Amino acid sequence: MIFEEIKLENLDKGNILAFGECYQKKIHPSSFEILTPLKEISQSLNKKLILVCLTNLLEEIENLEDLKKCIADEIWFILNPELKNFKDDLWAQVLVEIIKNSEPYGFFFPATIIGMSLAPRVAGTLGLGLCAHVNSLELKNNQIIMARPTYGENIIARLISKSIPIMATISVGTFPINYKDQQPLIKKIIFPQNFCWKSKLKVRKILPFKKKVTKLSTAKIIVAGGRGLKNKENFQKLFELAKLLNAEVGATRPVCYEGWTEEDRMIGISGITVRPKVYLGFGISGALQHMVGMENSEFIIAVNTDKEAPLVKMANVAFITDAPTFLDLLIEKLKALK
Amino acid sequence: MSKVIVCIKGVPVPGATKVDPETHTLKRESLELILNPNDKSALEMAIRLKETYNFKVVVISMGPPNVIPLLKYAYALGCDEMILLSDKAFAGSDTLATSLILAKTIQKLSPYSVILTGLKSIDGETAQVPPEIGALLGIPSLTNVKKLLKENDYWIAIRENEYGEEELEVSEPFVASINPHVFDYLKPPSLKRLLEVEKKEPTVFTISDLDLDPQQVGLNGSLTQVIEVFEKKIETKGTIIEGNPQELINKLIEILKTKDVI
Repeated sequence: MIFEEIKLENLDKGNILAFGECYQKKIHPSSFEILTPLKEISQSLNKKLILVCLTNLLEEIENLEDLKKCIADEIWFILNPELKNFKDDLWAQVLVEIIKNSEPYGFFFPATIIGMSLAPRVAGTLGLGLCAHVNSLELKNNQIIMARPTYGENIIARLISKSIPIMATISVGTFPINYKDQQPLIKKIIFPQNFCWKSKLKVRKILPFKKKVTKLSTAKIIVAGGRGLKNKENFQKLFELAKLLNAEVGATRPVCYEGWTEEDRMIGISGITVRPKVYLGFGISGALQHMVGMENSEFIIAVNTDKEAPLVKMANVAFITDAPTFLDLLIEKLKALK
Repeated sequence: MSKVIVCIKGVPVPGATKVDPETHTLKRESLELILNPNDKSALEMAIRLKETYNFKVVVISMGPPNVIPLLKYAYALGCDEMILLSDKAFAGSDTLATSLILAKTIQKLSPYSVILTGLKSIDGETAQVPPEIGALLGIPSLTNVKKLLKENDYWIAIRENEYGEEELEVSEPFVASINPHVFDYLKPPSLKRLLEVEKKEPTVFTISDLDLDPQQVGLNGSLTQVIEVFEKKIETKGTIIEGNPQELINKLIEILKTKDVI
């Protein structure tokens, strides 16, 4: 790959930066997602959109082709052997130097676990405001207004950050990935000789997941359950239904917190965003936190006793009945049909 | 004796927050605060470290006086010292202002080995405070930690991210947010300590105890600002079907067939 080398102190100023999470030889797709809303904003403000990637070896990245067609105007690489593993303190310090030298207008991160570890560390070091998990960004009188669902039923908060760069983490799975034909300009940032690449952390080993990762985000059919299922035993029946329908099981936040199922099945702003062909929700009232994660489902079916429940209103078809009983009957019926 | 500091938060009862249609601000229908469920594993981790390595555990919470029962609960679980950070000037603090108040408090408790927190609170859900505390104190921060072991003069931490589990070496002091699902069993408070804590009160720190300027904390000190809250209204868009369950099941089966699910 051909790139231009540029010294840290000569970086372009006043642009919008996005963190490109480059780890374990891949660029995380969420980094491409966040470019989508940022592109619109950077164009309106007449600023460049720059993806900032930290890694050890460029050649090792498997999805480099995606990078070459991403919609950023420029990609800045910081390459150093010490960046092979994620070390919160060192990575944050590298980004702090980037901010000090390039004085960006905004710096945004995908709300991945790494993004959410790094952004507050950077914000804390520089004393900057940081908004979390935003799922909407818009410009109003040249000011970036962000929004996110907040605690409680169906409440959205609009936020601003008064410090520059404006900083936020952006929800994963919220924005589609766009590509363009023209390759962004790729620059390698040269750090000064005296920069200390040391960390107080040392990664000994990385153990890949033992447990199976859920296929929720790509599932065609999802059966999900909420507090209306009343207890863990009833919730567990969803797995039986899922088997019969060749579906994946999803859950709302409260039931994950209750321990009815693992948190990696949580659909919503703090969980996974899904887009199945058919979504079947049992005993889910539809708190906004959940709804933003499934509102793009093609066909939504709700089972709930409450006619006024937001999910019932939003559904294509809603059955007004007791969810646990209905679930039992449905499983029985499907078994008989087989 | 080495010290573990654990930070806990009182959160409103889920569902008790509504938008006031007139003022467009959040209205709490109940003042009751419950322990942030994610903090339970941080407390359990702190108590286990105390039992294994003979640490002293200090529990801190920022909030109105009605978080005192939560501090006392933590004491009953085995924490040795309770600190309440309470001042009208703290109200409305965003994550960075909160982290500053906590970091100033923690500095006063120096020397310490480990600071533990929950992964995130269930009300704000930012998960930002632990790394911000780490940055402000200039110490390492780790998030979503599942295991902590002391080995010679450093610690071994196992944390989880989207890629798997990472085993790290870290030197103390450091701050770690704890994965909410690491413990299958949370030890209940002992009767002895429940009785003991009745006679105890937390130490209270206000803004003047922490050498902070009112401009640095609360709404004034918060760089992020909520400019508006509103309720998302949802109009009924589909078909609502009522009737006896068997009929409903038959209708659902039909729908699932047309959608090629079965």
